[in-house]
Amino acid sequence: MAKIDKEIIKNLTTLCRIDCTEDEQQALFEDLQKILKYVDQLEEVDTSNVEPSYHVLEGIHNVMREDIVEKSMPRQVFLDLSPSHTGGMIKVPQVINK
Amino acid sequence: MHHLSAIEIRDKFLKGEVTAVAITKFFLDRIEKYDKDVGAFLAVFKIRALNKAKELDEKLARGEKLGSLAAIPIAIKDNIHVKGEITTCASKFLTNYKAPFDSTVVELLEKEDAIIIGKTNLDEFAMGSSSENSALQLTRNPWNLKCVPGGSSGGSAAAVAARLCPIALGTDTGGSVRQPAAFCGIAGFKPTYGRVSRYGLVAYGSSLDQIGPLATNTADIALIMEVLGQHCDKDSTSLASTTDNYSEFASIKGMKIGVPSEFIKSLQEEPKKVFLNSLEVLKKLGCTIVDVDLSILKYSIATYYILATAEASTNLARFDGIRYGVRSPNAKTLDEVYTFSKENGYGKEVKRRILLGTYVLSAGYQDDYYKKAQKIRTLIIKSYKKAFEACDLIATPVSPFAAFEIDSIKDPIQMYLEDIYTIPINLAGLPAISIPDGFSSDGKPMGLQLIGPQKGDVRVIQAANAFEKACPEFTSIPKNFSD
Repeated sequence: MAKIDKEIIKNLTTLCRIDCTEDEQQALFEDLQKILKYVDQLEEVDTSNVEPSYHVLEGIHNVMREDIVEKSMPRQVFLDLSPSHTGGMIKVPQVINK
Repeated sequence: MHHLSAIEIRDKFLKGEVTAVAITKFFLDRIEKYDKDVGAFLAVFKIRALNKAKELDEKLARGEKLGSLAAIPIAIKDNIHVKGEITTCASKFLTNYKAPFDSTVVELLEKEDAIIIGKTNLDEFAMGSSSENSALQLTRNPWNLKCVPGGSSGGSAAAVAARLCPIALGTDTGGSVRQPAAFCGIAGFKPTYGRVSRYGLVAYGSSLDQIGPLATNTADIALIMEVLGQHCDKDSTSLASTTDNYSEFASIKGMKIGVPSEFIKSLQEEPKKVFLNSLEVLKKLGCTIVDVDLSILKYSIATYYILATAEASTNLARFDGIRYGVRSPNAKTLDEVYTFSKENGYGKEVKRRILLGTYVLSAGYQDDYYKKAQKIRTLIIKSYKKAFEACDLIATPVSPFAAFEIDSIKDPIQMYLEDIYTIPINLAGLPAISIPDGFSSDGKPMGLQLIGPQKGDVRVIQAANAFEKACPEFTSIPKNFSD
């Protein structure tokens, strides 16, 4: 199976938006290398005619409901949970430069 | 009072022998006295619990009907929402997150007049097998304070084992209720996938997660399952309600117990002896032991760590420092809000799993890892189905070892291997219980796991109850907590 290298780790940390120090990246690289080597044992299993199972319950189906407006929690409840808000909106650092 | 079961405590209250306030004070005092050694609780709801107790005493005085969990103090794992209280998930990221709504399980418990007494410690976001991954505090095993309580529901297990409360809720994604229950010498039940609503639980691996109870005995587990085992409209994987009577304990004479002998042959001598002795007990109860072939289960851990981390990497993407949680004060740009907040907020194991999950889902590797694992999951499900054609229940140990010392396992793979006997159950969505079945030579408890087919929850609890009645000596209170 695919090998992992430090470039991939760097790319992964960018994809996941997880900032890591060089030391942390090195440690994660070593751990992931070990873990991927361990999971490579799955190659031994012949799965050529096997369907994947994305869930475990039989007869499960999408749960639908009528599109009716229901009472929801007040906006202020959510705003109070946010680290920063102003004028009824969640505040983030400026995205577009002048 | 701490020697009593939850049912006995409730009955004393209903008969007027003890007030709800006295019960609550008694357990709050025990927490005060013992939890500085154990570290099971992240939060204790003193005022909330006493207010509820007062309300129950008044209700009883007025002659009103009380719920089936009246005056039973219950602790909640801190990844389950209790409205108005902080849900930390034992992560630095969520130390300021006040839950805006109740989880369905908490709603059901309170409706039946239980007293929510506090929130318990866990591995950060339930990722771990020892509770050492908590970013907030260390929890110790009441049987041996040098050892871990197991995980990830280690706080819940330690709290019940030290009799700081008679019942606690945990969550089980790969063994997180059953393994700490075994390590702490109590009963822990993982219901069939979908049996208990997960609304208000912070998701880790959505196709595997299930909420389950931990208690000192199986009758209390049955009682709580009667309350929690309901259909919930707010959880799209919730099973239909049934009229299952969990508390009707019948004889298990004539039951066939499957043992995957190939799968357990690598057990070390001591746990093997304990397990074989448990099979003898089951035989004496009139069960027949049959061999079942579950050789595919040796691939469970590799399968699990692909699927669970893939699901975790998606589930945890929401913690971005924008809408809730702790935003890094150093972030000057939007990108820095994400990266700095995650960097400061997540512990090592969480980062490891998010990265692994992202990798196995990324372009080019998805078929090799994620899809391959889902196919092996199919084979695991099929193997169990075939095994259950030949038996009613399957028995295995809960864990290959008793509780290990704090800080003694540093290699992540070695830690993952701890869960070899519990993980396959989640992959197939089965119900399984952990009950005490003996002690190691140095006095640490061990657990027997009884596994049922999907929706066989009642049968599993029944068999565990028969086993527990046959050997009550395994259910005891750790010496330093018996006063």
